[in-house]
Amino acid sequence: MSSRQDRTLRRWLWLAWFGLHFSFILVGSTRETLSLVARGLTVIPAKLQGRAGRTESVAAGLLGENASARNPVRRAIVTYRHVAGIEVGYGYFAPTIPAAYKLVFELRYSDGRVDYALPRVRSRAGRLRMVGLLDEIGRTRSDALRERLIKLLAAASWREHPEATKIRAIFGAILLPSIEEFERGQKQSYQFLYAYDFSSAE
Amino acid sequence: MKSRFAGTTARMAKWRRAAAVFLVPAESDVWLSYLRVGLGLQTACYCLSLRADWSDLFGDATSRTLAEKILSLESSLVPRLGWSAALAQQLGLTDDLMLWLVWSLLLCGACALLIGVFPRFFAALIWFIHLSASKSAVFSSYGVDNFMTIGLFYLMLAPLPDRFCLGALWPRFHLQDRQSSLGDAADSRSHLPGFWRRVFQLHLCIIYFFGGLTKSLGSGWWDGSSLWRALIRPPFNVVAPEILVRGKLLFPVMGVAIVLLEISYPIFIWQKRTRPVWLVAICTMHIAIGLTMGMYLFALVMIVLNVAAFGPEIRIDNVRQRMAQLRPVVSPS
Repeated sequence: MSSRQDRTLRRWLWLAWFGLHFSFILVGSTRETLSLVARGLTVIPAKLQGRAGRTESVAAGLLGENASARNPVRRAIVTYRHVAGIEVGYGYFAPTIPAAYKLVFELRYSDGRVDYALPRVRSRAGRLRMVGLLDEIGRTRSDALRERLIKLLAAASWREHPEATKIRAIFGAILLPSIEEFERGQKQSYQFLYAYDFSSAE
Repeated sequence: MKSRFAGTTARMAKWRRAAAVFLVPAESDVWLSYLRVGLGLQTACYCLSLRADWSDLFGDATSRTLAEKILSLESSLVPRLGWSAALAQQLGLTDDLMLWLVWSLLLCGACALLIGVFPRFFAALIWFIHLSASKSAVFSSYGVDNFMTIGLFYLMLAPLPDRFCLGALWPRFHLQDRQSSLGDAADSRSHLPGFWRRVFQLHLCIIYFFGGLTKSLGSGWWDGSSLWRALIRPPFNVVAPEILVRGKLLFPVMGVAIVLLEISYPIFIWQKRTRPVWLVAICTMHIAIGLTMGMYLFALVMIVLNVAAFGPEIRIDNVRQRMAQLRPVVSPS
């Protein structure tokens, strides 16, 4: 192959990569935005939600997500999107700010003593990540995943308090007051969501 | 008929030339130095800030195994800490030791990137380790990991070493690296950095456009309530709500300003007249997020990406001049 042909081929390859890369970014971002509309989280009228859902499904299809999990094209696209950091959209803190979550462990000891603890983090950066994990627990629709994640956190707490015989994990949402409510003296409130009991036998 | 065909062909050729000039401009690699130094600093801060929690967040007793199992359902080729753990097991090392080695390697790589020693190798190494860590702790990762992956991905592929690398002062350090990158560029030594800069710039435009668009779809960003909620939501409640409430009239203005700033970013960041103003405004927004919400790493990575993509040509006196031009002129009565 001559150097001119080689150069032309290389140019076409770069162009193809450019097209694919930006298609994944644009389709992925559009898909996430449509998903927010379809779930009724935006100010878009309800009658357009169905249409947004159908368009989102088309966008998912373009990303290969409608194919079977073993489909090599789908797996290749997923891998590329993960390694390039383009597997998620960019709707941070949007369209609304969700509730914050809190996890408290009630530690019970053999002598009848009861103690309370929070998931352990040592730094501010670690705390931000713990909040991400609690958000994931609060957001997920899978009971199994929620229980598994809480169990992992409970196990970490158990390592800190090995004498405890039982741990009850209490998960709840922190409800934030509006500006008007805050001015009327209302503070953050706590809403119970789930509780899980774990014993040392487990 | 023939002349119409000739006209269409000429127009297409003109568009093709314009697209080529836009996509593959002849540019210096100064932006790449900004990105390399910025991401080196960012990664070093990332390591140091997580030093105390590293084992708790990424150890095998945490959600790592679960996260990696879920990731494997999607793809088995995405880097993860489980690979390093398997290798460590073969070598008879404990998981804690493996984590400590990974952390040390990441920090050393960040320092090497910062000063520009074997920059492409270390950019790839840092990208790999950081990606592994963020995928293995996917349940606790957030925006900063995503933007670090994006930045490191482009840095790894861009034509390193740049002119401010240590290798530029000490050429034999980088001889091989430089040769390979120039060999790839072959005929387009000054065009390759330009192409990667365009890719990076366009990606940032999409990020801000969709960030602004999704915010504009929620009523809370128009009446300021989302901004209030973001600032009082634990653990972002760095400023006491008693202080915040004093500026309650500013919340709707700030909320709308953020939406408009982000959504119009792809328009105004390209124009020479408005670029300095938009860049300063967006960096100010990220500084404010860092200070008022305690998201220092997030603020740093966003400023690094913005300054590397659009900042190298901007000088402070230019910004002052542009601001003065945009300020409404008040004539004496």
